[in-house]
Amino acid sequence: MLKAIYGLYADPDSAQRAVDSLRAAGVDERAISVASSEPFEEYEFGRREQRTPMAWLAALGGLVGGVSGYLLSSLTQKAYPLPTGGMPLAPLWTNGIITYELTMLGAILATLAILLVSARLPNWKPQLYDPAISDGYILVGVVSPPEALRIGLERTLREAGASEVKELVVGLDAEPRTQGVSE
Amino acid sequence: MEPKAQKKWAMVVDLDRCTGCEACVVACHAENNIPTVGEKEAAIGRAMHWIRVERYYEGDFPNVKVKFQPVFCQHCDAAPCEPVCPTYASYHTPDGLNGQVYNRCIGTRYCANACPYHVRFFNFFNPAWEKPLDLQLNPDVSVREVGVMEKCTFCVQRIKATEIRAKAEEREIQDGEVQPACAQTCPPKALVFGDLNDPRSEVARLAGSNRATRLLEDLGTKPKVIYLQRDSWHDGKESD
Amino acid sequence: MTEKSQINADLLRPLFRTSWRFFALVGFLGFFVVAAFAAFGYQMYTGIGVWGIRRPAFWAFDITNFVFWIGISHAGTLISAILRLANATWRRPVTRCAEVITVFALSIGAMFPIIHLGRPWLAFWLIPYPSERQIWPNFRPPLAWDFFAINTYLIGSVAFLTLPIVPDWALVRDKANGWRKRVYGILAMGWRGTPKQWSRLESAMHIVAIAIIPVAVSVHTVVSWDFAMAPVPMWHSTIFGPYFVAGAIFSGIAALILAMAGLRKLLHLKDYLKPLHFDNLGKLLLMMSLLWFYFIFAERLTTWYGNEPSEMAVFWATQRGAYAPLFWTMVFCNFLLPFPILAIKKLRTITGTVIASVAVVVGMWLERFLIIVPSLTHKYMPYNWGTYQPTWVEITIMIGTFAGMGLLYALFSKAVPIISIWELKVGLHASSVVRSPLSVAGTSGRLTTGHGQLTTDN
Repeated sequence: MLKAIYGLYADPDSAQRAVDSLRAAGVDERAISVASSEPFEEYEFGRREQRTPMAWLAALGGLVGGVSGYLLSSLTQKAYPLPTGGMPLAPLWTNGIITYELTMLGAILATLAILLVSARLPNWKPQLYDPAISDGYILVGVVSPPEALRIGLERTLREAGASEVKELVVGLDAEPRTQGVSE
Repeated sequence: MEPKAQKKWAMVVDLDRCTGCEACVVACHAENNIPTVGEKEAAIGRAMHWIRVERYYEGDFPNVKVKFQPVFCQHCDAAPCEPVCPTYASYHTPDGLNGQVYNRCIGTRYCANACPYHVRFFNFFNPAWEKPLDLQLNPDVSVREVGVMEKCTFCVQRIKATEIRAKAEEREIQDGEVQPACAQTCPPKALVFGDLNDPRSEVARLAGSNRATRLLEDLGTKPKVIYLQRDSWHDGKESD
Repeated sequence: MTEKSQINADLLRPLFRTSWRFFALVGFLGFFVVAAFAAFGYQMYTGIGVWGIRRPAFWAFDITNFVFWIGISHAGTLISAILRLANATWRRPVTRCAEVITVFALSIGAMFPIIHLGRPWLAFWLIPYPSERQIWPNFRPPLAWDFFAINTYLIGSVAFLTLPIVPDWALVRDKANGWRKRVYGILAMGWRGTPKQWSRLESAMHIVAIAIIPVAVSVHTVVSWDFAMAPVPMWHSTIFGPYFVAGAIFSGIAALILAMAGLRKLLHLKDYLKPLHFDNLGKLLLMMSLLWFYFIFAERLTTWYGNEPSEMAVFWATQRGAYAPLFWTMVFCNFLLPFPILAIKKLRTITGTVIASVAVVVGMWLERFLIIVPSLTHKYMPYNWGTYQPTWVEITIMIGTFAGMGLLYALFSKAVPIISIWELKVGLHASSVVRSPLSVAGTSGRLTTGHGQLTTDN
């Protein structure tokens, strides 16, 4: 069961205000959820959880790829030795090219994998989302709010300048139902 | 028991003896199941003659000189056709031959482009022998299908047959015992085949001649066919 | 908000509305693609002799097209990656058009090493796998390097293209109904647009952009080494690597301009693909035209000055002999015509750049042909010099690839917004201003919270 209460904000300034107010109201950082149809990296709310070891892991992927490339070319050419053109069986020149290509491939595939894992894609389970985001609204909300604090949160969100405040309830049948919260 | 010396098969072509009769071309066709491609295909340059006699004409009538030479796979020790084959269809055997493995060939044709001697031939279509010519095929040699590259093998089937017979009789191969079809047929005996590593062989002796040259030597291919130039071309009276 | 809704409406329209003209186009292009497949089927059944290749020109149209299409593919990802890393803001509407060209041109180009084989049904022997014959591919030939380079570039380009499409698919999912909603819902993979997801996406794009540039350079270098590694007059030259990469970028930019001009007209994108974009790309095209001229001048000067007999045979064959008409057409198309059009600002309009680009595409195809065939038909032993003429099979296949490119592009722009919508929107508000983290409603000012740097601003 996913329960959440959220507001839709027409511009990033009011979204930032909403995030700040929620923090001031004592909501745990991890329970605050933000979603938008474009990145807002000039705003603090758009820079949450920015730090990532992706580049290092991509380099590691490259290293793995490179070693595989070198082993593939040098070991297989020596396993079934067929001399050609007076060249050595596993020349460093040619093995180097294979190694290089697989290094780059390893880095790219590692980046892809880390992106999918860290962005938690694909994720077709019900999540806190509203199609209005695609019209440019920014969603700021609280996931699984304690029942007692619900009224207070609703007021906080509204005061920050929300165009709408809604409640999302995903029932056992996994069909999300949103309803506007009346004043 | 000392190890047997590795063979290094080579051919010597004595251009002074060669008359350009092209009996070698016919013999090679017969021995190696080389198809005749037909008039139309030959006209656009798809004829397949593993050995051919090249002719170059110099000068104007009546002072025309014809220079001709039989050209076939040079079995280069640093063959440019070998490293470029992605499936190892072209590789170097321990006894110095450039081996062409028909089964591995997928027909990229890189080897033919890389070969500076133009000695590689491609099967553009499935070869066909009109009856009753199919009865003439040599059972010791495979028939290649479309898309496969082929070239002179120094009659590797005859080399292998001789090796097997010599081993069965527990003796060494004699010099001159292996005769590729072209060398066997050549009327003036211009083509001599043998083991270059054997210092007593005919090819080793002829390779030391002061008439000995190789084709396109400066390309660094290390060809193993030695051409003995005609004495009359070296008599100082004409420029070469 | 209205500007963003306008963007949504304009760029999503091709996905939701299709006119009869689209079907006519698909039918027209599809006909040539089917014809090409039929021609290939005929070739597989009868034998590769139905092509015009022969001794000594064992490669001709097949490898010309291969190098041509791989060259075209360098536009996209390279331009998109370089412009992204250089933070050139005008790139935003252009990047996806460019990346699409890369993926499709690569796919088409990568088909040629398979269809040019004498025994294409055995093409899988190029894949390194433990086979029952206990033999692996030979890694010494440039053809093996081609396999790795092209596949790496293809995978990288597909990643570079599809990763930033995911947010746009989420947009389509939200705007669509019925079967479209379901399909795009699956494609969007549950994308929400949290700051973390955006941040990871941007990081991934950044890393792939950095990685893809050396890959792209290596791909066409390796393709050029298919020629340079062979002892053939005027092939065995160290200039081939850089020469081909420059030529690839050159033809790629031209293809990009043509694609953009086509899209602008057919999808009514006049407000997004503006004269500015064509002007900027036209300047890049001019630079590449000058670079191309530099390379070909350097190559030919060294050949002519060296006066090596085998090379001079090829040299004169292209400059004065049988290939001279093609050679001088190439020089006209690649330099003499584009240079004035692209250098004079008044002529560097959309029409001007399109004319120059058509010429460049033709000229670069001719360049590939003139690298391959004159050299192969004039090698070291003149008794074996020859000629070459294509047959209808090769020509049909070639036309089919051009039609196929157009077809793939048309189908793609029907399924995916051809301009990156979210990147365009970011461009509307991107600034270097940083908001303070704890500014409460209405007030702003300096406040320290430990959440990173702040500046004063309002």
